[in-house]
Amino acid sequence: MKLQFGKGSFKNVAVALLAIVFGLLAGAVLITLTGSDPLAGYAYLFKGGLMSLERFGDTLATSTPLILSGLSVAFAFKTGLFNIGAAGQMLMGGFCATAVGLTLDLPSVMILPLAIMASIVGGAVWAFIPGILKARFNVHEVVSTIMMNWIGYWVVYYAVPGYFKGEFLETESRAIPDAASLKVGWLSQLFNGSFINLGLFLAIAAVVLIAFILNKTVIGYELKAVGYNRFAAEYAGINVNRNIVLSMMIAGALAGLGGATLYIGNASNIQIGVLPAQGFDGIAVALLGANSPWGSLLAALFFGLLYSGKGFMNAMIQIPPEIADTIIATIIYFAATSVLIERLLKRLRSRKRGQ
Amino acid sequence: MFKKLTAIFMSTVLTATLLAGCGSTPNPGSSGSGGASAATAFKVGMVTDSGSIDDKSFNQGTWEGVQKAGKDLGLETKYLKPTGTTEADYLKEIGNLHDAGYKFIVTPGFKFSTAIYQAQDKYQDSKFVIIDASPADKNGKESIKPNTVAIFFAEHESGFLAGVATALQLKEGDVGFIGGMEIPPVQRYNWGFQQGIKYANANFGTKITIKPENVVYQGTFTEIAAGQQLAAHMYDSGVKAIFAAAGSVGLGTINEAKARAKAGKEAWVIGVDVDQYNEGIYDGTKSIILTSAMKKIDTAAYDMVKAEKDGKFEGGKAITFDSKNNGIGIPDKNPNLSSDVTTKVAEVLKKIQAGEIKVSGERGDLIK
Repeated sequence: MKLQFGKGSFKNVAVALLAIVFGLLAGAVLITLTGSDPLAGYAYLFKGGLMSLERFGDTLATSTPLILSGLSVAFAFKTGLFNIGAAGQMLMGGFCATAVGLTLDLPSVMILPLAIMASIVGGAVWAFIPGILKARFNVHEVVSTIMMNWIGYWVVYYAVPGYFKGEFLETESRAIPDAASLKVGWLSQLFNGSFINLGLFLAIAAVVLIAFILNKTVIGYELKAVGYNRFAAEYAGINVNRNIVLSMMIAGALAGLGGATLYIGNASNIQIGVLPAQGFDGIAVALLGANSPWGSLLAALFFGLLYSGKGFMNAMIQIPPEIADTIIATIIYFAATSVLIERLLKRLRSRKRGQ
Repeated sequence: MFKKLTAIFMSTVLTATLLAGCGSTPNPGSSGSGGASAATAFKVGMVTDSGSIDDKSFNQGTWEGVQKAGKDLGLETKYLKPTGTTEADYLKEIGNLHDAGYKFIVTPGFKFSTAIYQAQDKYQDSKFVIIDASPADKNGKESIKPNTVAIFFAEHESGFLAGVATALQLKEGDVGFIGGMEIPPVQRYNWGFQQGIKYANANFGTKITIKPENVVYQGTFTEIAAGQQLAAHMYDSGVKAIFAAAGSVGLGTINEAKARAKAGKEAWVIGVDVDQYNEGIYDGTKSIILTSAMKKIDTAAYDMVKAEKDGKFEGGKAITFDSKNNGIGIPDKNPNLSSDVTTKVAEVLKKIQAGEIKVSGERGDLIK
């Protein structure tokens, strides 16, 4: 066997695929241990996500917030920042979008752009604070973004019952009007009543935009330079602090947009007392996607498929849901340990050379 | 860049088809196509609310009822756990159950109301039971279709009985209330409990007080540590017993009470939803659970499955479980209550059943 990787991108793909294979194998071991047939189990997993147009649409919709949260984490990584706050930024973004949807009574063409803008601003503001703390006072962003998660959690917890309380559910906001929803009739009909919505197109547009910014613009070059070596970048005359804040804000904006796709797209109201799990899954998505925009897109689609198909697999084979969750988590965990696999490949290669 | 994409895409497709192909081997372990055998053979599914299946209250109660019915009536049962708590998450799992042949679906919790509202139209060949809420559209307009039953409980009556029992047993002192989320079923427990204390004070000469600062809604059903902290604060301020209607938050309260009881201090907890006596056991035999305000979710779930089996499913209706049909109450055995107290509580229960005592499900001038 000859393993040689000329270009970085090809190596990344190989690593990601190997990670997925290892994940699926580890999951298979678990399924076998519970006394079920792993191949049948995986068949149901993929069927559950793909077997009908409606389910395929649901899979795409499930992936949508993951694409954006993964993109958010990946983007921050590029600048050497670890954004654990995607969950809080999503929540705030989603909250701002919902607030716009519930407050303004406008036709769809006006309210949707406003709600989307609000989500982007909300997420960006929530990430701006850790950004400025990092840039000015060197407060580590891991700590401050986690704290911002909880501030966001309690802000929503207080604000939703206070201002947007549901008529009969105290733990949720009122449902947004149809005009302010990213769900549109033709798309739902196209996918036989799936909850797929315009969020998917927003997510794909964001991927294209971020790929462009990172690879083709001066800003992207500067951001990456700061990520590779902060001091070298500073020496080269790049304003490091400005770039840190900017990077966090863009990452926050992406997560905020992800919040909009989650709360005014997939769902139609916002709930209190939960941080969106998609925010944390974004970290795994970014790792599997090797921190590249396109990689995040594909990794998110894969995770979306897992989440979407899980229930059907669970319903068809005799395992308790907790085990099904464990299997999915195992696949994700292994998929996210691409760093280890990279090392393994390196070792294999050097051994080959040594002989 | 493009090459890389195609590579990933192709291999993903390859893996998918590979796996899908392998799966076509017949799988005897699961799902027979049962439809033809008999109209009475059906599979019962359940979708859990937020929280785990062993939450010692809501999910667990429902699942136990479903399981028991499955065993007694020879039906296949299964529960699914949604990935999130949005309507889309719930609908997805309902769809999964439906597609896998589970056409009798039980959903515990008010959060399912919009999901069931849609599901009852979308899956007309299935039957639905929703507990603690009616199916409603997103504007709150309720509609129970002929394939759905909505179940409610008179939590205030249950809280009332627990309040009377607590007052009679402790005779004097401070008590408190810790709720989970501030939602109608939890609120009704609280209001009923306060009315029960008042009733005992007025009719049995007890001197139990509830201070407004000792009536707290923690805000979640999950934060065990917060439940422990709140309880510690209350016990420190002289509260003798806490009524914890708060899911896992209540488990924190129970932990705190156990720690204090072990140290020889007086600390009681009134359990909720199910008989929580066993949760409160310390030092082998003693328990800090004074009594529990129960709503018999398991009985309700069981009854609904049985009704379907017997062809008596009352689709389109809202059914309330209260003191009259023994759907609520305190446990039959309360080792921590004296026999005098249990007889008096039984008398009070009779009076509620006869309509002589009216317990209000509204806040009125009560605390919170």
